[in-house]
Formats: sequence, structure tokens, C-alpha cells
Amino acid sequence: MYLEIKNLVKHYDSKFPIIKDLSFKVKKGQLISFLGESGSGKTTFLKCIAGLEKINGGSITLNSKYLNAENVFIKPQERKVGFVFQDYPLFPHLNLEENILFNLEKKYLKKFNYILKLTRLKYLVDRYPHELSGGEQQRACIARALIREPELLLLDEPFSNLDATIKEAMREEIYKIIKETKTTTILVTHDIKDAMNISDKIIIFKAGVLQQYADPVKMYCEPANCYCAEILGDMNKIFHNNETYYIRPEKVKIISKKSKYKVEVHKCFFQGKEYKVKGRMNNEIWHFFSKEYVREKEDVYVDFGKKDLIYFDPVCKNFFK
Amino acid sequence: MEIKKIFILENKRWVLGSIFLAIVFLSPIIALFVNFFSSDKNTLIYLLETVLLDYSFNTIYLIFIVSIFSLFLGIIPAWYISNYKFFGRNFFDIALYLPLAIPSYIMGFTYIDILSYTGPIQSFFRSNASFLADYFNNDYLQIEVLGIILGFALYPYLYAASRISFSMIGSNYFNISKNLGLSKLQTFYKVILPLSRPAIFSGLFLVIMEVLNEYGAVKYFGVNTYTTGIFRSWFSLGDVGGAIQLACILLFVVMVLFILEKQSLKKSKFYYGKNVKIQQMISLKTISSAPIILVCSIPFLFGFLIPCVFIVFNVIQTYNEINFHKLFILVNNSVFVSSLSSIIIILIALFFLFVERISKNKINSQISNLISLGYAIPGAVIGLGLIILFSPFSLIGSFFILFFAYIIRFLAVAKSPIKSSLEKHPETFDDTGKNLGLSPLSLLKKIHLPINKFALISAFIVTFIDVMKELPITLILRPFNFDTLATKTYEFAVEEMIPLSSIYSLVIILIGSVMLLFLKKFINKQINVS
Repeated sequence: MYLEIKNLVKHYDSKFPIIKDLSFKVKKGQLISFLGESGSGKTTFLKCIAGLEKINGGSITLNSKYLNAENVFIKPQERKVGFVFQDYPLFPHLNLEENILFNLEKKYLKKFNYILKLTRLKYLVDRYPHELSGGEQQRACIARALIREPELLLLDEPFSNLDATIKEAMREEIYKIIKETKTTTILVTHDIKDAMNISDKIIIFKAGVLQQYADPVKMYCEPANCYCAEILGDMNKIFHNNETYYIRPEKVKIISKKSKYKVEVHKCFFQGKEYKVKGRMNNEIWHFFSKEYVREKEDVYVDFGKKDLIYFDPVCKNFFK
Repeated sequence: MEIKKIFILENKRWVLGSIFLAIVFLSPIIALFVNFFSSDKNTLIYLLETVLLDYSFNTIYLIFIVSIFSLFLGIIPAWYISNYKFFGRNFFDIALYLPLAIPSYIMGFTYIDILSYTGPIQSFFRSNASFLADYFNNDYLQIEVLGIILGFALYPYLYAASRISFSMIGSNYFNISKNLGLSKLQTFYKVILPLSRPAIFSGLFLVIMEVLNEYGAVKYFGVNTYTTGIFRSWFSLGDVGGAIQLACILLFVVMVLFILEKQSLKKSKFYYGKNVKIQQMISLKTISSAPIILVCSIPFLFGFLIPCVFIVFNVIQTYNEINFHKLFILVNNSVFVSSLSSIIIILIALFFLFVERISKNKINSQISNLISLGYAIPGAVIGLGLIILFSPFSLIGSFFILFFAYIIRFLAVAKSPIKSSLEKHPETFDDTGKNLGLSPLSLLKKIHLPINKFALISAFIVTFIDVMKELPITLILRPFNFDTLATKTYEFAVEEMIPLSSIYSLVIILIGSVMLLFLKKFINKQINVS
């Protein structure tokens, strides 16, 4: 396996560990999204991989080399790990070219034009960071990381400082660059869309523990627990055969006939292609989609395939609270 | 698998280096305390029974007068200049800093000369309105007069602190206050003053420290404070034990004030960052701006213009007696000690701040706070500590000791602009540097030195001005036969030859003013103060 994280523990105060026990493996060239709430320790995890923080237990192995384990610590500058920080820290006293070539070994110089072309920065090389837009600064940081041919690229919330209008375009562009250079990448984000759209696999991280590690489709359709289920989208709660089940809104269909599932409509939101309906069934809030407008306070009948029901242990919700 | 056993404490050498240097710089203070506990307790009892109460009362009373005057002279003009557009606003914004270029002892000597029997005021009344002359014929060497003069000399510390604070408080607070029905005056004292309390308290702390450190003017006025007491016990009475005990008492007072200041800042640390929308200034017509112009003129007139004009007048009067060769040597000496010590101080300040930044541990942050204490310690106390420490090594009277004392006293001055500049740059610069293969030294050279160069220049200017004005340390520790402009001014003044000291005072003021003007332009550009 290319990158292996084994029983990783990280804390500043041993009573309150940030990462309790984290283990997972990544294949070469994969793009993994690391999904978690703000303040859950996602950036700290990346810093541990990059060597900017030391771990308190477990090990990190990259390309069959220990980066950090008991009695082993490879310095950040010797790890061949590229890091693109959230706030695009380009050095303000250097222009774009100088930033990209900063402290660069000569053997990588020949890649400069290729990287510029790839990141579409060719005509901006003389500009200083304050003369670049957010998207250009971000691409410059990626160029600076990629020109060193890192064995692993770490992206810390790369889209969080971008406007919604350019975010999608940037996401696609970065995906293309990463795939073209076949760089193994870990993308830290709290945005589900980022994770779902470009990842080969997603890690959901909560309370210092890995909750699920799977590809986006599996994660969406077969969430490991209610936290993973809810983080990836709305869930409707339903009692069936004396058990509590959940179902995704898109699996729910409005039917014209009467059924045992009656929903009182509260709101109907226009979303372009269709309407998103919010209503109440048996004291539980429900969401589903409708091709036509549904009037508020009216009752509608819905149905779904039983195979689409997802079951979680009843204590699950309280556990994550 | 390759396993590399190099698990070493990060940046160990840098951290240990900073701890070692901090101990070195704190050693004179430690030496003072060690001597305090080992010295004769009878001296302390004697001091308590005789002079201590007098010293304490005078010191507190002087601090009180200076603080009141500085607060009024500093805060009110800062408020007007931050919020109103009026004729001469830009001029006053620079001019109100200028009293910083005049050492307070020069201000004291000059005003006493102006108010003396042979001075221009009394002479004018004797010639033109003799019936009024008697009213002006007073003994002006009083603690109250000294307090007012020091108020005019030191108010710029409060002006600078309030000016920046008032400018940084965004328009949101003004708009909310208006919306809640507060008048302008109510907004000022119910919202703006409480929000600016940390800044005002920091400025006031500097003023109080300057008063505690003041020697030249206090001695000239014959006011017995702790600092003059230390000199008196030490030099006039030859009682080093008494001087040490007084120094330790003063040090204790300073530490209490220092802790109070830190606590006050910690409790009321406001973050203006989220409210950066600048308040629009109110334009005033010439007539309605007249009272504001008057309020802004008073500190400038009495704190700078009048003493300067008088000094220039004295220089013209004594022009034929000026020894230009000697003047050149003195300027040379002053510039030499000020510039060399400032460079050393800046490098040390940068070192401490850089280690604090890269180590990210509490020890380094505490070390950084502890060495800043030096600015609050009067020069006389530092001098005494160094003499106790270095007497056995025959180093007293060398440049090494003189610079050592300057470092302890002015490290905090140099740290301030460098610290605020370093704080502006995100930690990810360091992380990126490390990630791109930089060692701590390369990080300092390739990133922090270039991006903080303006802060380093600012630090150089403020340290240079302070060292050039410094008197007690230079008087005590200078090498034999080595004079500076400050020491020469003092020597002439205590010999009642104030007109002859004027040329030296003038050169100090000129150099200081030029550097201040340069600094002010520089800071305004950097922080974009409106």
C-alpha cells in the first residue's frame, strides 16, 4: 500500500486527544477526501503527515518508508509531501515565478513551463501575490507543490476561500491537474460536494475516530452509521416492523393513491429542475422531491422500495450527540 | 523499511539559546535581588524611617499629575484627529508626535529657564507691565510644575496609542451607538473609551515608566523620587546597600504595574479585525473647527514649539561660544552608540520573537514577556545591577556594559514593531517554508527578514531615538571621558549654564524630529491609519 496510517494518535493534552485511533490505507494515485466538521482535527492530521506536528502514537508510512513512528521522525523538508494550505500562503515579497521556484532543487526546473501550462499561470509569472485573484493564488500554491513531484499532495480546504461561482470550476480544474500528474492526494474538506464530486474514496472523521472509509457511492447508499448518513445528505426517519429505519429523500416517491405513509406538507422549495418538499410524517420531519408544486398544509401520500431502507442501531443518534 | 532515529526536540538549539540569553539579560536584576536579601536590614529600616515615605509620596504624586495631564493632552486631540477633517489636521497629526524628540530633562531645563527671573516672561513684564511682574516672580522648581512639564513631554505616548485605537474602531460601533440613541459625546465615553481602554492603558503605562525612570529633570527640580534616591544613596552618601534596597523596592513597584498592565490587556483584549469598516470623518468649516484647532495646538505649542524656539534663540545668543569641533565629536559619539546599540538590540529582539514564533511553547512566550520587563526598569536600577554583577571583572566603564544596559532597557521598544509585524503574517508561512525544505535559519533569512524589513527599520528608528535621549544609564555606565549629546546637555544644565547646553539639546531634537517625521510617514503607510 502506498500510504498507510496505522493507529495514529495525536493530542496536545492527553486527556483530550484530537485523533484517538486512526488507521487507513491509500493506493498510489488515489484522491481521498477527509471529511469532518470544523475543529475536528482535520488540519492537524495533515500537519502530522507533513511533519509539521509530531504524532503521539501509531505510525505513518509513505511509499514503504516510515515518516513518523515510535523513535522515527523524518523532517518535513525530507518527506516529499506537498502541502497546499487553506489561506494560500504565497510569500508577499516574491513574485509568482519566485514563489513557485522557491528553494527548488535544480532537477525540477525543467518542469516549470509544464506546470505553468497545467495551472494556466503562464502570463502571470511577474505578478506579486496581492495582484492575483483567489483562484490564481490557489493555483500558484498547487503549482509550487506539484513542481517538486511530491509523493503525496495534501490539500487543506482548498476551495473554502473561493466564491461559489468559481468554486465548481476550480474543483474540476484541480481534479484534472491531480489526475494528469497522477499525484496521490488527500483533500481535507467540510464540504460534502467537494468530497462527492472528485474523490476516489471518502473518509468520514468524527470525535477523533474514523467513522467510515469507502467510495462515494457506497458511502452514500450504505452509510456505516447515522452520522455518516446525515453528513452526506438528508435522511428521513421511519418506523417499520417495530424498528427505526432511514431513507434518502430521492428514494421517496409521491404517489396518487392513498398509502399508509401520509405527509403533511410544510414548505415547497423551487430548485430549478424540481421542487424540494418539506413535511411532517408521524412527528418526524421529512424531505423528498416532486416534479410539480405541492401546496402547503396539503397531505400527500408517498412510497418507497423497502430495499432502500437503511437500518442503524437505535443508540446511534444519541451516541453522536 | 528505512527507520531513521532522529527524534529530537524541535528547534532545540534555538530554544536553549533564547533561554540562555534571557538569563544573561535578567542577571543584573537577579543580582540586585540576591544583594537585597543578603544586605544589612538596618539600612532598610533606616530608609523606612527617614526617606522612603517622602520618596514614595513624591513619586506617586508626580505620576498622578503627569498621568492626568498626559491623558487630557493625548486623548482629546487623538479623538478629533481620528474623526474630524479640519484645517491643519494633517499637520497636527505629525506635529503632535514631535515632543517625543525632546528629552524630558531638556524640556524641564528649558521651561525653568523661560520662567526664571532673567527669562523672557519675567523680563517682558518687568519692562512692559511692572505691576504684573511680581505675580510671575515665583519659585517654579515645584513638583506640580515638573508634573505639568513632564505631561507635555510624555503625552505623545498616549496620543499615539489612542490615535491608532480610535482609527481602528470601525464605523459599525458608531452606527450601532447612533441607532441606540447615543449622542457623539455619549458614544465617546460609553463606547469608544471603554473599547480603547487597553490601548490607553498601554500608553499610560509607558508614561508612568518614563516618570519612574526620569532622572535629569527630577534632580534639577530637587524632587526626591525613588530614582533620585538611588543616585543620592549611591553617589552622594556612598551607600550602595541603601541604593540596592531602594532599587529593589522600585523594581517591586514596577513589577506590580507590569503585571497589572498585562492583566488589564488580557481581560479587555478586543478584536477590531471583524469591524474594519473605517469610520467616515466629519468635515468641519473653519469657524466651527477653531476650538478643535486650539485643543490640538496647545500640546504642540507647549510640548514642542515654545521650547524649540527658546532653544534656537539661546543657540543664536551663544553662537560665538559654540565649540564646533567638540559638537562634532559629541554628535559622532551619540550617533555611534545609538546606531550600533540599536542594531544589536533589533537583532536580539528579532531572535527572541522568532524563537517564540517557531517554538510555539509557553516557556518562550514567558521568556519574551520577562525580557520585556526591562523597559519598565529605570536606567539607574539597571546600572546598579550591572555594576554589582560586573565589578569583579573590571568591565565597568566599557562599551560592552553600556550596550548591555541599553539592551536590557530598550529590548521591549525594539520588540514592539517587530512583534506586530510578525503577527500580521500567518503561521502557514512558516509551515510552507518548512514544507518547502527551509531550516529555521533559512526561514529567518529568506522569509522573515525580507517580509518584516519595514518593521525592522521602524524598530531601528524608535530604538535609536530612545537611546540617544537616554540619560541615567549613559551617565552611570559610559566609558571614562566619553560624552554624548545627552550627558553634555545635562552637565551644562546642572551647572546652571542652560544657554550653553542649548546647541546640544537642539541637535538631539533635530535628529529626533527628522527620524520621527520619517517614522510617522512610514507607519501611516504601513497601517493605513486614516
